[in-house]
Amino acid sequence: MDKLNLTLTAVKNLRSNVRQCFEHLADGTDGEGVEESRNKFVHDFQDRFGAINSQLREVEQLINGLQVPPTAYHLGNTTFLAQETSQDRQALYPQLVNSYKWIDKVHDHSFLAFNNLNQNTLRRSYNYCSQKRQRLPFSSFNNDPDHIDKLLSEINHPPHTSYNVFRPFGSNAVAIVTISNVLKAAIVFKGVLIEWVTIKGYDETLEHDDLWAESRYEVFRKVQEHAHSAMLHFFSPTLPDLAVKSYVTWLNSHIKLFLEPCKRCNKYIANGLPPTWRDLRTLEPFHEECRNS
Amino acid sequence: MGVTVLQPYPLPEGKSGAHIIDHLGKRLLSLGATHAGQFLVDCETFISTPQHGTPTRAVHVLHDSEFPASTFSIIDNGTGKQVALVADAIFDLLMLKMTSTFTSKKQTKIESRGARFEYGDFVIKLGSVTMMEHFKGILIEIEYRPCITLSYCWEMIREMLQGFLGINVAKEYPTYFTTQTIMNAMGQQQLHAKQNDLYEPMDTVKQYLEHFTNYRKHVQLHGGLGSSGLSVNGPVLMPSTVVGVGMGRS
Repeated sequence: MDKLNLTLTAVKNLRSNVRQCFEHLADGTDGEGVEESRNKFVHDFQDRFGAINSQLREVEQLINGLQVPPTAYHLGNTTFLAQETSQDRQALYPQLVNSYKWIDKVHDHSFLAFNNLNQNTLRRSYNYCSQKRQRLPFSSFNNDPDHIDKLLSEINHPPHTSYNVFRPFGSNAVAIVTISNVLKAAIVFKGVLIEWVTIKGYDETLEHDDLWAESRYEVFRKVQEHAHSAMLHFFSPTLPDLAVKSYVTWLNSHIKLFLEPCKRCNKYIANGLPPTWRDLRTLEPFHEECRNS
Repeated sequence: MGVTVLQPYPLPEGKSGAHIIDHLGKRLLSLGATHAGQFLVDCETFISTPQHGTPTRAVHVLHDSEFPASTFSIIDNGTGKQVALVADAIFDLLMLKMTSTFTSKKQTKIESRGARFEYGDFVIKLGSVTMMEHFKGILIEIEYRPCITLSYCWEMIREMLQGFLGINVAKEYPTYFTTQTIMNAMGQQQLHAKQNDLYEPMDTVKQYLEHFTNYRKHVQLHGGLGSSGLSVNGPVLMPSTVVGVGMGRS
């Protein structure tokens, strides 16, 4: 490696000398035509030329002294520089066409989605009706912390369920609900409005810095899906406190998640899962497949 | 880690174990389960060299491929009191160093191995039990991973077992969970029902030991009854009765 470096430095010196020499030539004499300056110019040039010659010899010697490397040098990404550049031999074109198609599709879909979303207002936090009907805006999203604490303590929970409330996001509360030895749920509040629910198994960790990871068990992922749809069902902007209370009651019915057979087919297992759906009013257990049939 | 139940499968006369396992595997696959590798549980027993004044003790060393980094050992002093220990895999080397106090009973090394299936959150293992390369019977392990208390999910597990085995499984909890003795605060042994306890990997291992002990006991009985003292290696079909004994217990 040292030799190679020396050689490269020598080549660099040679190049810079050659360049200086040519610059010198291009500058020429000062044009006065005085014999003295002309002589000086020629003399300078000869000096430089001699230097170039000696350096050229040096480079040749160094190059001769170099050994052929036993293996190819690893050059990182620079190796790609010297690769095949003929367009026909790189399959760029089909890829390009594909990505164009994708972009087209994405554009189409996002356009449709945009239209759809504009028609159906899914935003729950900020109420539109209030503006139209000239009512006071609902306060479901900016309640004071004391109110939430009071609300959660008022929920009369069965002895097997424990609540743990903390506030990692400023004033908004997160409640970790542990239902017997069956499951854990993290309820993320925004004011008194339930924003998100994560369901996990009893032996899984549910910490405040890991509220959004899904459970590793299929059954709890399914329960979480149902918990989200129930969250939307119980949402009520006019009576936010009642919504939270009925939601928690519904959630508590999961204590017999593995214990009760489906009310319709009287079996425990369907597709490898217990009855994961709880009826929103009667709290009766159903399989996902049995619930609407 | 969830509740695990072991269920011996009675071998019908005239059928080989491999045939039955193949058949059960096909049933599981058509049910929608996926094949997910192999498993192995083995058990080696060391007996303490008798010294005056102390009764002989047995140390059972078990490995379970579901917990590949651990070695499970259970000390049994013969009076029903068991001390369980979970150690790193290097525990095996320690046992090798202790040959002066504990000698290995090589001829009782017993293992259960076979295919592992996953169906939803269930893990089902179809194990064929072999002792000294001789087939002893079929032991089916079923685990429901999300649940850690037997009383919550026993009915589910039972339905699942009956579903793919096609045999009747008793409604009561398996005997392992109902007949555990523990030490109470006064140092006395008392019966303790385990079905409401949190399930631990050690429970799986203890269940395996219980079933392995049954298989071994039967061999010893046969050895006593047979004309030669070494009739351990009976014909392959014999184990059908072995499983019958196991079935009677659960």
